[in-house]
Amino acid sequence: MQPGVYTQPVINARNIKICALAAFIALVPAHAADDDRDIIRIAAAFRTLTLDPTRSIYTGAIETFGQLYSRLLRRNAEGQLVPGLALRWEISSDGLDYTFFLRETKFSDGSPLTADDAAFSLLRMRDDPEAVYPAPVLSLQNAWAEDARTLRIRLKQPNAPFLEALEMCFLGVVSRADVERRGAAAAFADIPVTSGPYRVVEWRRNDRLILEANPYYWRTGYPLNDGAELIEVVDTNTRIAMLQAGEVDAIQDITHSAIAGFVASPDTVVPEEPALRIQVLLLNHARPPFSDRRVREAAALALDRERFTRVATRGRAQVANTLLPRQLRFHDPDFPGWTYDPHRARQLIDEAGAHGAKVVINFTAPSAYYEMMALIVQAYWGDIGLEVEIRKMDQAIYEQRQMDGDYDAAIEWWYNENAEPDLAVKWALCGSCGNRAYYTNYQNDRVDELVRQGAAELDPDRRRDIYREIQAIAFRDVAQIPLFYPSWLNAYSTRIEGLGFTPATQWTLEEARHVR
Amino acid sequence: MNRAAWIARRIAHLVPVLFGITIVSFALIQLTPGDPARMMLGSRASPEAVAAVRERLGLDEPALKRYGSYMLSLAKGNLGESIPYRQPVSELILRFLPVTGFLALYAIVLTTPLTLLFGILAARNRGRWVDQVIRMLSVLGMTMPVFWLAILMIRLFSIDLGWFPVSGFGTGFTGHLRHLFLPAISISVYLVPVLVRNLRAALLEEMSADYVVASRSKGLPEGYIFRRHILKNASLPTLNLFGVMIAWLIGGTVIIELVYAIPGLGTLMFNAILGRDYPVIQGLTLFYAFTTVIITLLTDLLSALIDPRIET
Amino acid sequence: MNGRWPTTLRLGAGIVLLWLLVALLAPWLAPAEPNAIDLDNVLRPPGDGWLMGTDHVGRDILSRVIFAARIDLWMGFLGVLAPLSIGVAIGLFAGYFGGLLDSITMRMVDITLAFPFLILVLAIVAMLGPGIANFIIALALVGWVSYARLIRAEVMVIRSAEYVQAARTLGFSSPVIVFHHVLPNAVSPIVVYAMTDMVLVVLAGAGLGFLGLGVQPPTAEWGAMIADGQAYISEAWWISFFPGLAAVSFGVGLSLIGDGLARILRIGDL
Repeated sequence: MQPGVYTQPVINARNIKICALAAFIALVPAHAADDDRDIIRIAAAFRTLTLDPTRSIYTGAIETFGQLYSRLLRRNAEGQLVPGLALRWEISSDGLDYTFFLRETKFSDGSPLTADDAAFSLLRMRDDPEAVYPAPVLSLQNAWAEDARTLRIRLKQPNAPFLEALEMCFLGVVSRADVERRGAAAAFADIPVTSGPYRVVEWRRNDRLILEANPYYWRTGYPLNDGAELIEVVDTNTRIAMLQAGEVDAIQDITHSAIAGFVASPDTVVPEEPALRIQVLLLNHARPPFSDRRVREAAALALDRERFTRVATRGRAQVANTLLPRQLRFHDPDFPGWTYDPHRARQLIDEAGAHGAKVVINFTAPSAYYEMMALIVQAYWGDIGLEVEIRKMDQAIYEQRQMDGDYDAAIEWWYNENAEPDLAVKWALCGSCGNRAYYTNYQNDRVDELVRQGAAELDPDRRRDIYREIQAIAFRDVAQIPLFYPSWLNAYSTRIEGLGFTPATQWTLEEARHVR
Repeated sequence: MNRAAWIARRIAHLVPVLFGITIVSFALIQLTPGDPARMMLGSRASPEAVAAVRERLGLDEPALKRYGSYMLSLAKGNLGESIPYRQPVSELILRFLPVTGFLALYAIVLTTPLTLLFGILAARNRGRWVDQVIRMLSVLGMTMPVFWLAILMIRLFSIDLGWFPVSGFGTGFTGHLRHLFLPAISISVYLVPVLVRNLRAALLEEMSADYVVASRSKGLPEGYIFRRHILKNASLPTLNLFGVMIAWLIGGTVIIELVYAIPGLGTLMFNAILGRDYPVIQGLTLFYAFTTVIITLLTDLLSALIDPRIET
Repeated sequence: MNGRWPTTLRLGAGIVLLWLLVALLAPWLAPAEPNAIDLDNVLRPPGDGWLMGTDHVGRDILSRVIFAARIDLWMGFLGVLAPLSIGVAIGLFAGYFGGLLDSITMRMVDITLAFPFLILVLAIVAMLGPGIANFIIALALVGWVSYARLIRAEVMVIRSAEYVQAARTLGFSSPVIVFHHVLPNAVSPIVVYAMTDMVLVVLAGAGLGFLGLGVQPPTAEWGAMIADGQAYISEAWWISFFPGLAAVSFGVGLSLIGDGLARILRIGDL
């Protein structure tokens, strides 16, 4: 304690001035630097994990692939297959030889895009040990460039879905020269060489992906905007708040309760966006009680799916009558589907001796939506005599349990990128196609045989019969319990037009622009 | 013991602590079910691809061997690479650190004057209504669930009034100040009451100390005594708590960052845990630990400097 | 000093006692089954029939808030008891025996302290899965530290006290002496700290519920209910509001008790 050392009181004139200045800076709404450029801002629900189209098929990843890489074919606004990088194509009569005539175009770094790059991209997905989804190109025997503008493909056997598969976003064309020069890891690490409407300005991992228009994009005049920002916002309510506050132009995946508010506001819209999606209850056939077909049937009859769908989706979805998404080619619209018959359900339960059987329903956190569905199912199944427990868990544990077959029932959804049913049935109903019929352990040899036939059969009428039979058998076996067909639920600002979300989970970013 | 030796001893203590941390975080990761390869590749990924990625990452090797190679690269200063992002963990941390750091600092800048104001007011007016009101508000602030408050504030200030942005970090200094105002206030609402309670208690204790009574009897003015002695002596325990709070802030901003969509260390850690991004989890944990220890060290050092009577 | 309890203590004790009664008498107080869904009455506002309205599956909020009291009180109590027991036990032994045991304990304390609290609890819950039991385990593993330190400090002080030396020479076994003297002295700061800790535990539980890693549905718990209602904040504010109110009031009660206890036990507050 030295005399003469004078300490000022904390609350004095100078400090007050500093605080006031700070408060002023903080509170005065600063004008964001007015961007003359037309940038579309989207708050996405998923994170971008990689820019390499062969390295991930996680939902968030494939959304960005379509913006970065063009494919041989494209879908127009009506959803039809039209020329993409390929101007026209020829298919041999035996369905084994495909010839694509490519347009003259360049990559985002100015280097020419040739048939060799296209062949390289396809073979990469087939051959690279870390390529995640070789299924569409497994039938490929060889792909090569006859010349710079001509791509030749030879298949091992006829494959009806092949042409449509070439439109899918993970078969985008990448630059062979770049990948071979830099190596796959470095080539896609930060600024990849792209062939699509956009190229990458910056990839801020765990934050956002900043894109700008690709000046070399083959579709002249597109994109209609100068760039886009895909901002990763995991919390649904925060995304909703962002659109309400006008901070972004579109948000992905809103809750059903937010629909009314956005529809009522003149600044936002929630369009009807069809999705090739289906919401299901997965049942584990490998262990009791659902190993007994009667219990599975009872579980299906016990649900009043009309009411369930109405409450869960506020009437925005249609009840599912078969196990395939509604807009899938060869979906059987006349198939009757399950009725609501709790009386019969109880009978079946008693017959099977499953009264009081313990059932655990798994679902992923943090989804209030799934929790609601689980609660409703719990109530219905409780009514017919099952002892139901619902369990919420994080994504990683949930997937582990699915893979290990450590579950009884699970709330799940799946989708198909296009109307081609081949990959859909392989994913959901085929017991020997790699994922044990979406981890249900459902195995029906007839179904598996039909799945194989369906891919090879080129005649549409015969294909229709094949897929209808598949649906009928799977339904009778209660492979899964179909719930409803949800559409995408995104909200858009009226400041922009042209932006939508396709059934193939692609934003139509290149068509979007600000109008006010 | 002399100051330098004391510092050296404290730093030497760091080593076993960090060592222990790597063991604990490694053990936690081993015991947690989930496959980072699958999380990254997606559920439709072919089993061959998943196996290939696991092979590349060495995820199937025995735990001890993995721990050994991790420690080896750590010794060389390499924190490893994020599994999905394939970017060095150190780079990721350095990218997100400024955001969380800014938020923490912002919260501190808002908290400090409020703490001093309310703490002093409460102590000087002990027992009277000012004191009671401050104490009731403190209790309220401490018990309010922070995400509840955040939701309400976003609703009112961002959406309805449009004063502040809902989310993100913003560009430029003023941008940061605007975007992080609500999050920083949310943190302060919790911090201020805790610190005020502590400061008030320390002040009151000082105010009845012998030397104060003696000074008063000598005729020294109350304000002078307060500023020169009481405040200074009472600042010590509060400073301690302050240091603890700062260390807590580094890791404790997770919920705030998630609700306000701020790309900081909290979001990084949360997503890493969900996605089982092991190198990031381990790297961040070490970083948190390191920061906490350093801050504690600095706080103790500062305390010792202020009050030479502190036992070192 | 008069022997009456200060107002804060009485007020706090009153609030907590009220919630205790609510929790105990839940089955008789609640007008409806807390988990009974009613798809015909979703999102009803507070009014006739439902004092606090219904949630997104038609469950009565009032009944759920009442039954949630059981869970949250239980979580608060166990969530403090578990780390307290472990911490006190470890602190006693470390402080008494000193030496290597003490060093190891203090290193463990440093390690635990170096982890950010929420992150560690999050990681443990992610590892074990959501649920009350796992939450308590996580808290126990993380929270024992403060209690250990408090008790250890007391033990070290007493160990060297003269009367302990004196008692030893008289042939009394030292552990008995130490514990006999340590515990009464340590009780006060520990109890005060425990009250604050309980508030933190309830908040942590709510936070985890918000992140989706709290109690398993359909169990009613205030934090989880707040999280449930977040999606409906614009159209059905009551889903989040009432459990939030309950949590805050309970927390306030605990804080006031802590405050008041500190006063009569003459610790840190005058």
